[in-house]
Amino acid sequence: MSIDRRTLFHRALLAGLGASLPAEALAAGLAAAAQPQWALALGDVEADIAPRPLTRLHGRLPADLAGTLYRNGPALFRRGGTAVNHWFDGDGLVRAFRLADGRASLAARFVDTAKRRIETAAGRIVQPGFGTPARAGAIVASADDTNAANTHVIAAGGRLLALWEAGSAHAIDPATLATQGPVTFRPDLKGMPFLAHPKVEASGRIWNIGLSGRNAFVWRLSAAGALEKGQLIRLPSASYMHDFTMTARHLIIVCQPWLHERDSLPFASGMAWRPEQGTRVLVIDKADLTSQCVYELPALFFFHLGDGWEDADGTIHFDGCFDDSPLFASETASALVEGRYPRTERPLLRLISLAPDGRAQLRDAGITAEFPRNPGGHAGPRPTIHVGGYRAGRPFAQTLGRWDWQAGRASTHDFEPQQIVEEFVVAGRWLIGTTINLAARATELHVLPAADPAAGPVASFRADVALPHSFHGSWVAA
Amino acid sequence: MNNALLFTAALLLAAPAAATTLTVTFSVTDAPTGQIMLSLYDNEAAHDGGGTPVAQAAVPVANGQAVARFPGLAAGRYAIKAFHDIDGDGKMGMTPFGMPTEPFAFSNNAPAVGGPAPWSASHFAVDGDAAATAITIR
Repeated sequence: MSIDRRTLFHRALLAGLGASLPAEALAAGLAAAAQPQWALALGDVEADIAPRPLTRLHGRLPADLAGTLYRNGPALFRRGGTAVNHWFDGDGLVRAFRLADGRASLAARFVDTAKRRIETAAGRIVQPGFGTPARAGAIVASADDTNAANTHVIAAGGRLLALWEAGSAHAIDPATLATQGPVTFRPDLKGMPFLAHPKVEASGRIWNIGLSGRNAFVWRLSAAGALEKGQLIRLPSASYMHDFTMTARHLIIVCQPWLHERDSLPFASGMAWRPEQGTRVLVIDKADLTSQCVYELPALFFFHLGDGWEDADGTIHFDGCFDDSPLFASETASALVEGRYPRTERPLLRLISLAPDGRAQLRDAGITAEFPRNPGGHAGPRPTIHVGGYRAGRPFAQTLGRWDWQAGRASTHDFEPQQIVEEFVVAGRWLIGTTINLAARATELHVLPAADPAAGPVASFRADVALPHSFHGSWVAA
Repeated sequence: MNNALLFTAALLLAAPAAATTLTVTFSVTDAPTGQIMLSLYDNEAAHDGGGTPVAQAAVPVANGQAVARFPGLAAGRYAIKAFHDIDGDGKMGMTPFGMPTEPFAFSNNAPAVGGPAPWSASHFAVDGDAAATAITIR
């Protein structure tokens, strides 16, 4: 009987699990150690956040800005004397910041995952995750039993999809934020990995990939979020990837040399950094996924890429936030849960250009950047909206910027050291996003002009609660 | 242990074990259709090492239940791996990555932890004239 294929289950686990550090008695250590101020970014939210108004700090909401900013991120890291071993393993909390009639409100609800149900019943952290080992009481019958649904939230087909990367999307009611359950796009695709960064064409068509070693499954969904096509392709290497990108015509899959080499748990023990192998960029024709070419670049490590575009001669350009090793994934993001920040992060904004003759080039903006978002789609050169200002002594970003690759010019707003700046998204002429005000110990919502963030917020609001650092989100206009 | 006891024990072991009928009752909550396919193992090596089961069966699901009977079993320890063949095609559904898409369960309702439940968690005793066990598939 095929159920005997033990390796199947192993692969399910390994698909999503990341590095881990042994951290016994972590919770005890947390209680004992004095926590730095920034630890608020990895604080625990004990229960759903009932709808409540935000307090206006200054300014006025623009008349052309009405709708909801949905955001997702891990928000419960500790239970009953145990803790996850990695920032990426907290339970996903979907937040809705609603803007209407000049006012703003907040509501938030945890995604009702199998992982959360099992751990609520156990009263302890038991499920393995990106960097957390399985503990006694773990139940892992499929990758979705480890799915934290904590990485991104998008709107498609009248519902929200709370995304992770190694298992199903979870459908969420956009009005109540109630979880409808994991999405099975077709019976034979139950529980298939669905990365947290789907890419949307001008037509609304949605592309995504899911990964398993050197295999990738290419998802093509309609604008309404229904499966149009799915196809298995082979990658140049069994690389860890959090994101991919595309142009109007091509999918671009950047295979970095953090390679899955062994089936073992925790995942890091099976991953290896092989910088000598360099980075291979797979470019695939969307109209024929068998039409592919591979470009070679030096070793790079990344989480996030910007949208791509193509010149008339076929040269492809896209940017991304690149580090020189996977240490953030394998070590720093674990230390953050313990209130430690052992290594200063310097994710650099770089532009990759792939010429039709096979040459690949790298260009540096000369700034640190993360969480890139692009207004303007894939039609041509576009600016990159990003957070930045990474510096020694404190994790997370402090600034919000707009980088223009054509002009080589930045427009940057510095929120000052007492603010942790989360991802900002483009909402028409505006940028909207959240910060954690460490002095006020509260989450804030800010609106800035997309054309010139340096002008600062045109309106700011404050919640009566501090939510931990979220990862990604979407603006849904009213 | 004295020699008489050892002798008695040896006799008991050598005697042909009385045949037992095992009844396995499945409670099925995931879908009302299809069949339960199960494999019965009588030793740890075969169970945990992908060896040959001592018996296999396919039994139809009706009214949320399915019952499999194995007559003529020797008394001893056994374990079961089962899956719900919802679409009735006789095989475990798989994703393009080779992951199961149909629900499965193990004797003692032992949980999976990144693989099938091991013999140590799923084995149970079969002795006497009749033995019974129940498994829930959800």
